[in-house]
Amino acid sequence: MEKRSVWDRLLAIDRRWLYLLLFANIVFFLLMNVQMPAQITPPAQALYDHIENNLQEGDLVMVSSPWGPSTIAENGPQFQAVIRHLMRKRLRFAIISFEAQARDISLKMAKEIAAEEGYRYGEDWVHFGFLPGAAIAVRGLSNDIAATVKTDVNGTPVVELPLMQGVRNLNDFKFGLDITASATLKLAWLAFKPQSLTMGYCPTSVMAADAYTYLDSKQIVGMITGAKGAQEYEELMGIEGGLGAKFANAISFSHVLIIIFIIIGNVAMAMARRQAGG
Amino acid sequence: MNLEIVGLWIAALLTLGAYTILYRENPIYRFVEHLFIGVAAGYGIGVMVADIMHRIWWTNVFHDGKWWWAFALPYAMWLFTIYTEKYSWISRIVIGTLIGAYAGLYFQEFSSVYLPQVRSSFKPLWTSDANPDLLASGVINNIIFLVILLSVMTYFLFSFEQKGGVKRTAIFGRWMLMIALGAIFGNTVMARIALLIGRIWFLMHDWLGIGK
Repeated sequence: MEKRSVWDRLLAIDRRWLYLLLFANIVFFLLMNVQMPAQITPPAQALYDHIENNLQEGDLVMVSSPWGPSTIAENGPQFQAVIRHLMRKRLRFAIISFEAQARDISLKMAKEIAAEEGYRYGEDWVHFGFLPGAAIAVRGLSNDIAATVKTDVNGTPVVELPLMQGVRNLNDFKFGLDITASATLKLAWLAFKPQSLTMGYCPTSVMAADAYTYLDSKQIVGMITGAKGAQEYEELMGIEGGLGAKFANAISFSHVLIIIFIIIGNVAMAMARRQAGG
Repeated sequence: MNLEIVGLWIAALLTLGAYTILYRENPIYRFVEHLFIGVAAGYGIGVMVADIMHRIWWTNVFHDGKWWWAFALPYAMWLFTIYTEKYSWISRIVIGTLIGAYAGLYFQEFSSVYLPQVRSSFKPLWTSDANPDLLASGVINNIIFLVILLSVMTYFLFSFEQKGGVKRTAIFGRWMLMIALGAIFGNTVMARIALLIGRIWFLMHDWLGIGK
């Protein structure tokens, strides 16, 4: 039997061992709770600064939350960090979902944070439930919220909600936030929102690269990118040990491991070819 | 044992079942996959009925007196005629309405989404009294932006054969596109790892109670 070189043996490693190493790496760094300093990126800083400096206590914010369980690791920490910021700033807000599965998750998370921050449902915040067809829904909200939504998630007519007294449409909102795992920013918000409504954006990591054009054109004032962005936002708010920080640290060390795998794999392939005379 | 704990155990076991695909193809993974698709579809229908059929349609027709909304339901149901050979032409009326409506909406989308980007692509390339805040670094950034913008747009000129300087510009544009796609792919890796971390966190924190 021909003796295989160390490079050939490296190339023949079963990929399931790599999965196991990645899994062990993630578990280790989640357990260790390593606190890595977050490098605050300009888009995250800009979003934080806009909410902190340009919005006044009692201003209305529309939070669009079209994301489901499949992206909870990214949109969940974003949602928690931003909602907590709105509450600490004493801003009033409404949540709406354009994704059926997002309705209950965003409601549950918002209720938990509201209980911690002493926010009252109906007066300080409301949830409008799920509306299909984001583009048509945002167009409807821009014209008449009560006619578009009818009732909140609990079945209370919109016109009877204390928060909605004197509020007719999106022109009465000072800021909009799209925490999303789909293309709702481009297809719905930027297309059909009123000109006066400034927007912030919280996409999953995979969508973030596309959004820099919107930052450059000032169509959005700031952005937090996936779990890493949530970690930055938590740091800006002085939250220690938040979900964003936990996840972002585990992501960073997973990336290190994957980069090591890639380097080893490429070196092994090059060396094996050289030994084979290729 | 309350229902929340039962739900937690079901979720944890199904999560583990889904990850068995990493070892090899197996019936447990197939079961979990089909279950997930079925539950997601069922959940979506439930939310549709509660939030749309009841909240919007029912309220409009039976509480707000907007009787004309009653026609929306049978009109939408015409879509299902697509499953019959004889009457499938009826479904095209509904599909045509949807396409027409969305085509109209996208005209507005184009002007609202892309025109501000076209406008923002006109950037100052030198300092002047008109741009007192523009630094030398900003000028360099703007020049890089313009060069990349023009070279990438050149890459998409397919109306004639690209030769000479145009071809070289297009090749440069292609390289810039590759760099951008590399950045997107890097973010994709980060996103996928984040999803895995989310499930591992669920198993550790919510199910096993580690780190609570």
